[in-house]
Amino acid sequence: MAPTRLASKPIGVNENLNGLLGHGITTRSKQLASLKSHKDNLKMPNKRKADSPLKDVMAKRAAFGDITNAFNKSSAPQDKDKVMVLKKVTVETKMLPTVKSIKPQTVVNGKTTKTKTLQRVATNAIESVQKHFAKDPPKPVATRAQNGILKNGDRKDKLKDQNQSQHSFKSARSDVSGEPSLYTISEKLDKVNLDESANRSLDDEKEPPHKAPPGITDFDLENWNDPFQVSHYAMDIFNYLKGREGITQWMRALLVDWMVEVQESFELNHETLYLAVKLVDLFLARSTRKLTIEQQLTKEELQLLGAAALFIASKFDERIPPLIDDFLYICDGAYTLSQLLKMEMNILRVVDFDLGVPLSYRFLRRYARCARVSMPTLTLARFVLEQCLLEYELLHYSDSKMAAAALLLALRMKSLGTWTPTLQYYTDILPIAIAQNAILHKKPKSAISTVRNKYSHTIFFEVAKVPLVENMALSS
Amino acid sequence: MQKYEKLEKIGEGTYGTVFKAKNKETHEIVALKRVRLDDDDEGVPSSALREICLLKELKHKNIVRLYDVLHSEKKLTLVFEHCDQDLKKYFDSLNGEIDLDVVKSFMYQLLRGLAFCHSHNVLHRDLKPQNLLINKNGELKLADFGLARAFGIPVKCYSAEVVTLWYRPPDVLFGAKLYTTSIDMWSAGCIFAELANSGRPLFPGSDVDDQLKRIFKMLGTPNEESWPGVTQLPDYKPLPIYQPSLGLAQVVPRLSQRGRDLLSKLLACNPALRMPADETMAHAYFHDLNPSVKNDRC
Repeated sequence: MAPTRLASKPIGVNENLNGLLGHGITTRSKQLASLKSHKDNLKMPNKRKADSPLKDVMAKRAAFGDITNAFNKSSAPQDKDKVMVLKKVTVETKMLPTVKSIKPQTVVNGKTTKTKTLQRVATNAIESVQKHFAKDPPKPVATRAQNGILKNGDRKDKLKDQNQSQHSFKSARSDVSGEPSLYTISEKLDKVNLDESANRSLDDEKEPPHKAPPGITDFDLENWNDPFQVSHYAMDIFNYLKGREGITQWMRALLVDWMVEVQESFELNHETLYLAVKLVDLFLARSTRKLTIEQQLTKEELQLLGAAALFIASKFDERIPPLIDDFLYICDGAYTLSQLLKMEMNILRVVDFDLGVPLSYRFLRRYARCARVSMPTLTLARFVLEQCLLEYELLHYSDSKMAAAALLLALRMKSLGTWTPTLQYYTDILPIAIAQNAILHKKPKSAISTVRNKYSHTIFFEVAKVPLVENMALSS
Repeated sequence: MQKYEKLEKIGEGTYGTVFKAKNKETHEIVALKRVRLDDDDEGVPSSALREICLLKELKHKNIVRLYDVLHSEKKLTLVFEHCDQDLKKYFDSLNGEIDLDVVKSFMYQLLRGLAFCHSHNVLHRDLKPQNLLINKNGELKLADFGLARAFGIPVKCYSAEVVTLWYRPPDVLFGAKLYTTSIDMWSAGCIFAELANSGRPLFPGSDVDDQLKRIFKMLGTPNEESWPGVTQLPDYKPLPIYQPSLGLAQVVPRLSQRGRDLLSKLLACNPALRMPADETMAHAYFHDLNPSVKNDRC
């Protein structure tokens, strides 16, 4: 059962290389064309819809480890044919690393397959962002135009097929054709681009692309008639270049989204996830001060940072932490063992071995118990916290206040009356609750939908489907 | 590593060799614990990771101080304050009986260090004489946090393979994975009796069964009445019914009445009945403690 490096490594490495190499040569339009035809050919059913609800729950249950056994028994028969399908799809199932070995076979198969799919999508997400920012600079204008055209035609398809990418990839793997990961990567890449360009393009249709706020001289407008100033695109181009300057909020969101996927697949404690995200942020915030330029993070290493942070957090908090090979594996072989070890040491050095940081997740549990709220309400508050984990702009709030605000928001969303006197002490959290509420109101993005999907399951009381409240209702 | 000059090997910790060394600039004597980082390994061992992180937070007079962590490609070096000996060696060096005032002072310092750990959400999980360091001036410090871990509230399931057998509480011997600060209080009780008997271990069992029998022979076999839930523990097995035979007066004859009362509150088979560390410090046994020990704040 125990994964060996020999077994797990080559799978990832080779295909990743394939993907990367192929990707470098192909132009975006070619990719899009091939992607589209592939999509049409592979009318695979949407994974989440196609599988029985039980199957989904099985995978999700893992987060509540203490009640797993009873459930496995009752669901085993219904699950049988699903497992068969999964087995067929991934031939190498047996070689996959499994985190915990004492599991019924069905779960092991289901889980590892899921892991494999997830990690690929996740890897792709990061890679695509890296590529988007790092490797396409010469033709920003053309890219943008393409996206604009695409948007009108393909947007609906894309939304409908959000999860299809996972499945098409899985089936592609079972093909023996040479370049299975090619279009999956590009698919994710285009998805990200579409997401990003969607809002911008909508604005384009109504009015000039950018307007300086009142009181600010609109340089581009002044030079509107000078073709050599490229005023029409100037703002876009410089915004784009700004985005390339460092790790952006969007890249961080993608990374955290991926980390939530890893937490689910490895059945890690939520404390481990929260600690790992903390480590990522502490590292990003402090590394400029503490590390030399050579040691500092490049965008290509962002996922390495996330994996190493999870690796450390697991060793700190988990009873049986996943092995280092498991972490190399979920990065799809993008990094070597020594890279991961080096990153581990870098993180520990930058955070000065201080892993006992306060976590909002712990505070929330404490507050919820003191306030005697029900499990569904606590879970709703957890959903709020986890969704906000992706948000860079909320980072400056303390963890205890984030927890209290999430609980307040959850109480209001469930119409459970006002703030209980027990928690009256935290009256200064309303602004945070309003900020969190704004996050929930954000338009969902498919590239970072893990938390929402996770909390849409019955095991989490489907709290992601609880109707949102307006800010007005919060402050009244 | 040029900063320190190695003097001699002191021993082997949970995960690395310990050396006595001298700071070349300040001439201060320190203890260096070396953790080797092999390339085909799992990176920084979780025991080292936890010890470093926890000791960085636990700055207290009765807890060994971690001065620094040096890292190179191939190894981590933990720089600790140096203590003259551990409690085990202290016992070995005793000629005759231990001074009962020393017992009281050591016990108080042990409980004070423990109370500090527990109030900072840390379980030690490996208390034994070898892991208690003693200074020439009679200071006692908790050391070797290689098995320690931070706990959340409420506690989750942790490893049942903790604590050296002789100092392991009955609930953990029965395979309990859900335990809390009481796990250390049992060990403290065992150490208390060992102190009072000048270094004779209280329950020197040879295996888990023998260990349980030794405990129950002295304290009586627990049942659902005295310890609700005991029969539900993962590795519970019915053992011979012993009545509490020996009074503690025979177990620790030199200990005062108050001392025996405190000991009985630490050696409770039911973990829920074990007295927490901060309460033990207020126990009547310590009322006549030398004020210089009591007031010695960190």
